[in-house]
Amino acid sequence: MEFQPTIISFLCNWCSYTGADLAGTSRMKYAPNIRIIRIMCSGRVDPTFVLKSFREGADGVLICGCHPGDCHYHEGNYKCLRRFKLLHKYIQQMGIHKDRLRLEWISASEGRQFADLVDNMTERLMELGPSPIKEIMEIA
Amino acid sequence: MENSEKKKPKLKMAVYWGAACGGCCVSVLDVHEKLFDITELADLVFWPIALDVKYDDVRAMPNGYIDVTLFNGAIRNSENQYMAMLLREKSKILVAYGSCAHLGGIPGLANFTNRDGIFERVYDTSESTVNPEKTRPQLKTQVPEGELHLPYFFDDVLALDQVVCVDYYVPGCPPQTERLVEVFMAIATGATLPSKKTVLGAWDKTQCDECIRTKTDKKTIKEFRRPYEIEDDGETCFLEQGVICMGPATRGGCGYRCIKGNAPCKGCYGPSPDISDPGAKMISSIGTMIDSNDPVEISEIVDQVADPAGTFYRFSLPGSIIRRKIL
Amino acid sequence: MEEPRIGVYVCWCGTNIEKVVDVAEVAKAMEKLPNVVLSKNYKYMCSDPGQDLIIKDIKENNLNRIVVSACSPRIHELTFRKTLEKAGLNPYLLQMANIREHVSWVHDDKKAATDKAKSLVAAAVTRVNHHEELQKRTVDINPATLIIGGGIAGLTAALEIADAGKKVFLLEKTNHLGGVVAGIDQSFPYFDSAQQIIQQFIKRIKQHENVEVLLNTKAENITGYVGNFKMPLPMLGIDAELEFGNIIVATGLKPYDPSAIREYGYGYLPNVITSLEFEKMLMSGKIETKDGKTPEDILIIHCVGSRNKNCHEYCSRTCCMTALKFATQLRSALPKANIYQAYADMRSFGKDCEELYLKASQKDIMFLMYDQQKYLPEIRRAPNREKCEMLVEIEEILSGDMVEVPADLVILMTAMEAHEDVKDVARTVGVSLCGNDFFIERHPKLDPVATTTDGVFIAGTCQAPKDIPDSVAQAKAAAARVLSSIDVGQVEIEVTTAFTNEDLCCGCQTCISVCPYKAIGFNEENRVSVVNEILCKGCGTCSSACPTGAIRTRHFTDKQIMSQIEGMLSMTKRKSKKTELEV
Repeated sequence: MEFQPTIISFLCNWCSYTGADLAGTSRMKYAPNIRIIRIMCSGRVDPTFVLKSFREGADGVLICGCHPGDCHYHEGNYKCLRRFKLLHKYIQQMGIHKDRLRLEWISASEGRQFADLVDNMTERLMELGPSPIKEIMEIA
Repeated sequence: MENSEKKKPKLKMAVYWGAACGGCCVSVLDVHEKLFDITELADLVFWPIALDVKYDDVRAMPNGYIDVTLFNGAIRNSENQYMAMLLREKSKILVAYGSCAHLGGIPGLANFTNRDGIFERVYDTSESTVNPEKTRPQLKTQVPEGELHLPYFFDDVLALDQVVCVDYYVPGCPPQTERLVEVFMAIATGATLPSKKTVLGAWDKTQCDECIRTKTDKKTIKEFRRPYEIEDDGETCFLEQGVICMGPATRGGCGYRCIKGNAPCKGCYGPSPDISDPGAKMISSIGTMIDSNDPVEISEIVDQVADPAGTFYRFSLPGSIIRRKIL
Repeated sequence: MEEPRIGVYVCWCGTNIEKVVDVAEVAKAMEKLPNVVLSKNYKYMCSDPGQDLIIKDIKENNLNRIVVSACSPRIHELTFRKTLEKAGLNPYLLQMANIREHVSWVHDDKKAATDKAKSLVAAAVTRVNHHEELQKRTVDINPATLIIGGGIAGLTAALEIADAGKKVFLLEKTNHLGGVVAGIDQSFPYFDSAQQIIQQFIKRIKQHENVEVLLNTKAENITGYVGNFKMPLPMLGIDAELEFGNIIVATGLKPYDPSAIREYGYGYLPNVITSLEFEKMLMSGKIETKDGKTPEDILIIHCVGSRNKNCHEYCSRTCCMTALKFATQLRSALPKANIYQAYADMRSFGKDCEELYLKASQKDIMFLMYDQQKYLPEIRRAPNREKCEMLVEIEEILSGDMVEVPADLVILMTAMEAHEDVKDVARTVGVSLCGNDFFIERHPKLDPVATTTDGVFIAGTCQAPKDIPDSVAQAKAAAARVLSSIDVGQVEIEVTTAFTNEDLCCGCQTCISVCPYKAIGFNEENRVSVVNEILCKGCGTCSSACPTGAIRTRHFTDKQIMSQIEGMLSMTKRKSKKTELEV
């Protein structure tokens, strides 16, 4: 059977989660590989959550927040962006492919963009194949 | 009452090293004249660096014979693992002593590579090596006197609790000797011990709490700097000068020795109680401090952190969520 | 806290969920998870019998944690929190899993959708284990209200509240009240004078003892929270500020600038004018070309800037009727003129609007239908200006013919669009905008007046294009919401705030500058950071920035989120490798 990746994703309540809801109410179809965790702001995303997701078997992690300048809490998305850049450098040092972790901006009205993003990331992860992290991290 | 106190048998204590530099054993010696207080209360039954006690002697001990074992060093090879298991069986209380046993420590940085990578470097490519036959350590070697054995070298360095159950942790590279004495005295005098798995000999609060450098809320970083790149006044918080200091995410208890010596904290005392991954926490915290909202500028600033993994996980790589590099 | 006893409820949402997700299988899979006492599926969890089922189970089985797996928590989290309260449980011991918007409505593959639903519900179950009781907090409501925008919606809301005896601050960024309606002659469909309506409103507002009008004033730097907002007024002195408990945003829309549409030549063809420019002409009583001639041929073009992907895709709602109003007014003013309407679709819904269309169509007006997605009418100067000013080429799609219409005057029915500064307003009041820069209402059907920010309401065209009666209705609804909150006098505020564990805080002060609301202060005596939970809005950025784990965000703790991750991935099975340690 074809490999089906699992994406853990952290969506801010105000923009991205609402955008994902809009994709739903508009009945836009997209890949069923994503698992969404709702947080109030992308500024809440702690790199620990991302690493934990990889450790527990996620093939990819997607963080979505409001577009720059549109954060419900003014600047949470910028804080997220700064952490993301440092985290992204770290995971690559640890041999985790850069495309396994993405940060994207999705507004409340971008249901279509969200659906396309999920499809696009799923496709990329299928190319990359299963993440070996969980298996490698396990200590018998 | 006084009689029963006197009759109380002396504690049996062991100190052992796994993959270690020897610094932890020296820190035990550093108790200086307090050693007399310790030996008053305890017999050292096994301590390879100081006493001639063989593994066979340990094997001969009944299970639970040793009251307290201070195990320092990480688990790097099959001998370390075997001794960890043996000492676990023989000890009532097994303490992971020092950064390596606690979280993997400096030897844990070997998790950026693996057995083959290390052997190639050590036995082939290092500048001082001449080894045209590409000789490698053998598990068994026949010599006239019989068969010699070497332990199996693992791909991964592990912390002690990744191979056996650990009762307590005393962090530090090496642990501060005063803390060791406090912990020892608590055990020896039968003071009520905290619940299992707790870190002893370190505070719950992190370094900043005791550090006397001036801290303000202006924790913004426009440029990361190495310590030699700043004119340190000895008073300003390192982070506020753009120098990465692991102090905020590292338990106090060491007496902020590095910072007192005008060097930023490197994180050897490990994270505070609620933190599962000190490196990730520090990435989060320091990332937040980056003083820019412009993606390009943020990338440029991030690029100044030459080695995030080595910086944020210097002492904790094997004990962290992503405990080794994916090769 | 006592051992968690979890009840799981998987909703069918009629067939919305059930037709794609095997709800019975999902419910069954949850039975095996730790601390799950019962797991059921039911046709409509949000219905009264559905909620009663939860209440009954809580009482009979001593449940102390509930997972409802249904629609988006943005829709029914409050509903089910209330259900828990009715059963005597703290409302925060609920976790929802969104298996409608995020599963059944977006996936077709039943197996994949069911698997995904399982992992989302399992995540909710593992998370709810770590939920804590949170205590509600209330604050007093300042009875004053800030209304942003002095158009028909803002004026209506202001009068409604002021007449009820409550103080209103009415902010208007320009130097006059009245908004777009002040530039309109008569309103459709009854041809009553818009001027009379609006001027009366303005007069009453100016004389009202409870209304303070602030012209040339923008809404800026609003701080605080529901019940207790503040806005500085630097032009009135350093310490001058307004204090108010609620905000109504009624910033309206502005007409679209048609000069971007090449085909219409607006800006260089002098006799191509916008609908609002024509209103001015009507008010002056003189319908004439730039040269002062009475036009013989007049063309009205619909959908200028609306319903076209190059401009705005939405319908501006009022232009069709306004165009019919213009045609009717033109016919009575110029009985001999040729009047043409180039329209895309005639949208004449609403009371007495279709009737107006019918009447207008009996007034010798030529209706030409064009396809505004493909071929816009093209206006050019007439070569022989003796006959007419301009010629307009229209592909008439009902006949399929290319027709050329003479015109002395062309009226462009321009769209309504958001003001350039709407993002600044959105930011200062903390309300999101949709893709068209209209304010997003809390719920499109059930709560179109409130926003997701407590204490901030929206009225009029800033929410979406609408006509005068709809703007007035929404303004009155917003006013009613404000008045009822003033009447209650208190409001529950955010409980999912951050707080510091002072035993862990090391005093590094990283969190202080991170907080967008300046809610974190430093206690110099204890050397710890302290969160002012009244100011905190619960974004959680400080918890992630805190290097010691001392700051926790209620309801979004590390433990809760991490357990959610674990639960989510617990359903994905992969073979595990034995490491060499077993060698």
